[in-house]
Amino acid sequence: MPINVTMPRLSDTMEQGTVVKWHVKVGDKVASGQVIADIETDKATMEQAVFDEGIIAKLVCPEGKQVKVGDVIAVLAEDGESVSDAASSSGAAPATRGAASAAPAANAAAAPSATSTAARTIVADVHATDVTSGDRMRVSPLARRMASEMGVELSQVQGSGPGGRVVKRDVLLAAENRSAAVPATRGAQTAANDLVAATPSMIPAAAASAGALVHGAQSIEVPVSNMRGIIAKRLVESKQQIPHYQVTMKFSMDAVLALRGSLNEQLASMEVKLSVNDFIVRACALAMAKNPFFNASWAGDRILLHQQVNVGVAIALPEEKGGGLVVGVVKDANLKSLRQISGEIRSLGEKARTKGLSMDEMSGATFTISNLGMFGVDNFTAIINPPNSAILACGAALEQPVVRNHQLVVGWEMAATLSLDHRVIDGAMASKYLQSLKQFVEGPTMLLV
Amino acid sequence: MSAVREIEYRDALREAMSEEMRRDKRVFLLGEEVAEYNGAYKISRGMLDEFGARRVIDTPISESGFAGLAIGAAMMGLKPVVEFMSWSFSLVAADPILNNAPKMLYMSGGQFGCPVVFRGNDGAGGQLGSTHSWCVEGLYSNVPGIKIAIPSNPYDAKGLLKTAIRGSDPVFFLESERMLGNKGEVPEEEYLIPFGQAKVIRSGTDCTLASWGRPVHFCMEAAEEMQKLGISCEVIDLRTVRPLDIGTVVRSVKKTGACVVVDQSWSFGSPGSELASQVHRHCFDDLDNYVHRVHSADVPTPYATNLEQEYLPNARKIAEAVRSATYNL
Repeated sequence: MPINVTMPRLSDTMEQGTVVKWHVKVGDKVASGQVIADIETDKATMEQAVFDEGIIAKLVCPEGKQVKVGDVIAVLAEDGESVSDAASSSGAAPATRGAASAAPAANAAAAPSATSTAARTIVADVHATDVTSGDRMRVSPLARRMASEMGVELSQVQGSGPGGRVVKRDVLLAAENRSAAVPATRGAQTAANDLVAATPSMIPAAAASAGALVHGAQSIEVPVSNMRGIIAKRLVESKQQIPHYQVTMKFSMDAVLALRGSLNEQLASMEVKLSVNDFIVRACALAMAKNPFFNASWAGDRILLHQQVNVGVAIALPEEKGGGLVVGVVKDANLKSLRQISGEIRSLGEKARTKGLSMDEMSGATFTISNLGMFGVDNFTAIINPPNSAILACGAALEQPVVRNHQLVVGWEMAATLSLDHRVIDGAMASKYLQSLKQFVEGPTMLLV
Repeated sequence: MSAVREIEYRDALREAMSEEMRRDKRVFLLGEEVAEYNGAYKISRGMLDEFGARRVIDTPISESGFAGLAIGAAMMGLKPVVEFMSWSFSLVAADPILNNAPKMLYMSGGQFGCPVVFRGNDGAGGQLGSTHSWCVEGLYSNVPGIKIAIPSNPYDAKGLLKTAIRGSDPVFFLESERMLGNKGEVPEEEYLIPFGQAKVIRSGTDCTLASWGRPVHFCMEAAEEMQKLGISCEVIDLRTVRPLDIGTVVRSVKKTGACVVVDQSWSFGSPGSELASQVHRHCFDDLDNYVHRVHSADVPTPYATNLEQEYLPNARKIAEAVRSATYNL
């Protein structure tokens, strides 16, 4: 029997997924556990392995197409089974499923085909090959002609055909959106009101049309990736639902930089290189252990104090991978040494930028740190990553004139800003946490024990 | 005037032959069982009585012989109509019908024409097995110099056969055992249907279905199904594949942007592949998807009923192709 490979549910909130890239093609032999595709979920792009061995009979879901969890994305032929039979017998798109099963004789008809190389029907054959070819933008000739006649910029149209081919309906839709946007300028205020009133799930669509409305017909549309969509949705939810406020403190970084220099010198032979951020992660974790409401979530009618200190670290993804950001999680950060934390963050960063993080590696943060210090930012504020109650935004450690022991001297300073959920944490508690953090950062030997 | 009468496909064929025989003394019919037995499929019923044994001639089982005889008669100025009980049997007469008839005018420098009509059942008749179920248009349409008509209904069968008999070139007239009993409106008055004129038998806006012969009916079924899904199909009955009325198909595809060609012969090097190729050429900038094709499966015709059903083009396969061509899969 052919084995259907379905779109897996890779997170609790995942309803749809996109095959970003197939690593196999029709006819490839695959072993159990082998990665066959990269799948973009609402949170990240992850590798998808198969659980059976066999031969890829059909790639049902073309690259770039979003399908529902549970939909067949590929069909495997089992050992000894004919690939073309398996391809034609199952794995059809949902709409064809009923039709295909209504004709069980279909496979049998192909059976006497000793010399036959063609598939049973041309339609079935061609689908398999559609999926495998290169990255060139695909546009049907009609869509190309219509786009040129209607002045629709093809590079900004998302294709809905096989392999992302731009077809007639996509061009019509793009033209329609554009013409809907132009007369809407008069009602900009109304649209803005609608935006506020919209439910969170409507936000991406509403925001998109609002964008077109501001920039008029000259604006360039960029299709929204799954990740961008989810960032938009979650952060709007966060900003709308969490009563944010910010508290900033400056930290003297002289001691931590000195310690870091000396440790890195000694650890260089072991290829360990601690970053300032590693110290901050450990400091935050220890401060959380001392301030339990910083390791908590608002749960409507109660507050949950988490018993595990998991620090999330925001990781920016490279533009060529579509940009965006993910949060890698260092679990039990208060129980781990600086060296361990450093190693984990480094490997999370590398994996996030190359293969993508697993759901496990992105789950369970109870506090998040966003550090733009390496980009020369002095200070900034971050949006809380729900269900956290706080996020720390770190600027760069900068050499500047400071007053020490009533003397004006040159020292290293860093500003960090906490964004807080006022439902869980009040201002005094925030100050107390920052004091704890200051003790660890300015007396960093405490971080070693 | 009374309502238009309905007659069977076989009666339409007989009327065409009889009318032309009454009209032109040069016309005569020959073939296996056409005279005494009134036709293996009762197409020529009563014709022996009316026209006598000189003009309605029973032949031995020797296709090569009587096809060659007819070609000779045509070269000398007669107008023979040859009935092949099945076009599958014409394969043994390949040399006269393919190598002589279509080339005669050319090779004789215009001295000899060859106004002969070969007609008979084409395609799977129903459990006739691999050797007796040929769709010869796949093979024969490759040859220049012949005309091929494949009517799907009694009206077209009569009008096209009369045109075939009156013409001055060899015509292959492909009927279907499965359609001989089909009834359709055929007026009493005389009419002729010119070759190379397709007929739009259902108009639509989303996808063009182009076919000929028996699968036209499957196209209509599929179009009906598609309508329920909101996909509007335009169905074109080509009626003759040589000459091929590409203009009507092109006009339709320019409107719909999608095309499914349904051809009962095998896909490799077929009238269907030719039509698809021409549509790609003439409608390149109008197509929203490649031209989809539905053919018989690329295997010898199976004997078992269920397999034969599945082997042939059918409404389900056509519907699937339409959904794919219009991105509705």
